[in-house]
Amino acid sequence: MISRVLIANRGEIALRIIRACRELGVETVAVYSDADQAAPHVLAADHAVRLGPAPPAESYLNIPALLDAARVSGADAVHPGYGFLSERARFARAVEEAGLIFVGPPADAIERMGSKIGARAIMQEAGVPVVPGEAPEDQSDASLAAAAERIGFPVLIKPSAGGGGIGMKVVRETAGLGDALQAARREALAAFGDGTIYVERLVERPRHVEIQVFADAHGHAVHLFERECSVQRRHQKTIEESPCPVLTPALREQMGAAAVAAARAAGYRNAGTVEFLLDGEGADARFYFLEMNTRLQVEHPVTECVVGVDLVHAQILVAGGAPLPWSQADLTQRGHAIECRIYAEDPAQAFLPQAGPLLLYREPQGPGIRVDSGVVEGGEVSVYYDPMLAKLIVWGETRERARARAIAALQEYPVLGIRTNIPFLLAILRHERFAEATIDTGFLDVNGADIAREAAEGGLPDAAFAAVSMHGTLGTMGTVGTPGTSGTVSPLDPFTTLTGWRG
Amino acid sequence: MEIRLEETTTRVTIGPDGQVEIADAAYVVTRVSSGIYRVTSGDRRWTVAVAGPADARWVSVNGRVAVVDTTPATSARRRTKSGGHDSTAAPMPATVVKILVEPGATVAKGDTLLVLEAMKMELPIRAPRDGVVKSIACQAGQLVQPGVNLLEFE
Repeated sequence: MISRVLIANRGEIALRIIRACRELGVETVAVYSDADQAAPHVLAADHAVRLGPAPPAESYLNIPALLDAARVSGADAVHPGYGFLSERARFARAVEEAGLIFVGPPADAIERMGSKIGARAIMQEAGVPVVPGEAPEDQSDASLAAAAERIGFPVLIKPSAGGGGIGMKVVRETAGLGDALQAARREALAAFGDGTIYVERLVERPRHVEIQVFADAHGHAVHLFERECSVQRRHQKTIEESPCPVLTPALREQMGAAAVAAARAAGYRNAGTVEFLLDGEGADARFYFLEMNTRLQVEHPVTECVVGVDLVHAQILVAGGAPLPWSQADLTQRGHAIECRIYAEDPAQAFLPQAGPLLLYREPQGPGIRVDSGVVEGGEVSVYYDPMLAKLIVWGETRERARARAIAALQEYPVLGIRTNIPFLLAILRHERFAEATIDTGFLDVNGADIAREAAEGGLPDAAFAAVSMHGTLGTMGTVGTPGTSGTVSPLDPFTTLTGWRG
Repeated sequence: MEIRLEETTTRVTIGPDGQVEIADAAYVVTRVSSGIYRVTSGDRRWTVAVAGPADARWVSVNGRVAVVDTTPATSARRRTKSGGHDSTAAPMPATVVKILVEPGATVAKGDTLLVLEAMKMELPIRAPRDGVVKSIACQAGQLVQPGVNLLEFE
């Protein structure tokens, strides 16, 4: 049994884990950088320990500092969340060697699945279909170009140690290879400390469909069905949903069985995700193993909504040695869930990440609406970390009802002070192709700029200007603010009245 | 009151008790909670969120967001927009990855001068016009703040 968990993360996922622990009667230890001293996850935990300065390398990626924090706080387990150190075998091993429980897979399973080449070989061995690709030992441009020729253009080049879309480039002919390799190597080195490049055949217009798996230490392994994540911009997921609208029951069963086989072949334990490319639809569709994510996913809530489980809760139990709380026969899908990732980025300016104060931040509420967020009104969005502010997850009886609910909820989600992608998310949800569920992973690469432009068009109703003109002058429910109260101006003050009635 | 949104100016006539007139239509504004207003006009109604200072007031309705200026027009004209047309400032706090030009270099409008990196993204800073680079005010690896020009033109 686990009694105190250190959460080696920040933002919404740290808060999500803290909630699950609290419900289980497990104490929590937050860690923070100097930029996060008063962050919501720090305030929510039972204990909090400073790691170091704001840059991730000195704080959330600093393994010695995290192990020290676990020691001084008396934690007996470490939950890595997603991102940061969650898929570093070295970290999982260091945690295990310090005599602590790592809430996740065994270090050697992370290692096996972390190497794209190794993972492929294991999957091929286990009979799971894979996409053609290789990471040549000789990593020179010439050797990588030869590999690309063997595999056949178009190719995708990506960091062998990577994840999250960082450093991935599409190359359509030999001529474009040099520049792409240079950029990919630099991004790979900066993000993962390893510049090894993997070259892979690009399957055109695939869907990204992933299967949630879960295994325990007692030989049980189940899948919790699929998540469709084809709405992605530059390989960064934007909207995820479950079920996948084009999966036939037979294919769902095949993919589920393949994912469980993959988990078993990897020697897996705890929550994981097996990502597949889905080529085609209906009975003719084929699927290929893409990679295994050896951690909790950002989009885990859509599975929780549709299957009716608490994955983080189960993670803590299974890490503590308990058997899986469900058998495969217990698990079914009900209704439809959609997750929208709220990013601090400006769709009108090439999705430039935004940093600054959250002057006003109000989350929508209502039946079937869940918001997992890591920010509060009055807080500051920093430049140092991922620009994802929150996730809006909605559930509906059907896909169409879930879509309508997501649109309504985003319209009741004011975020002021920094630009967000909310207008862009609304434009996607309203797009014909999303409504008819014909989206492949290239959808936003092709249509993203048009959708962003559309999202920026169409001005505000004059009612917005009416509210602006009254801002700071009204008391609650229309009572006039007291003149002289700091920051308020009475509409009856002569200056306002004079300029006001002039026009 | 005049409210400016980019090139457009909206004239608002303010009456007592939250009554407002815009383009011959009458609105009543009620404050629901801090920064949240209910606006009605006949049987139409909107919920509007408002926050921020008078010269950069954020407003949002039904998922649409804008930043407007409510200060008197004369003072607005006197203010210079961050860097104006010659801006080579970072759009956000970022790290300088690469400097592609040297002082004295002749550049054409649109040439990439610097490459910044922030939040996993590369941000090119391009020449705002044809000209000659006078000096460079940053170094590779430096963390730079928005609003400060990273190089100067002659």
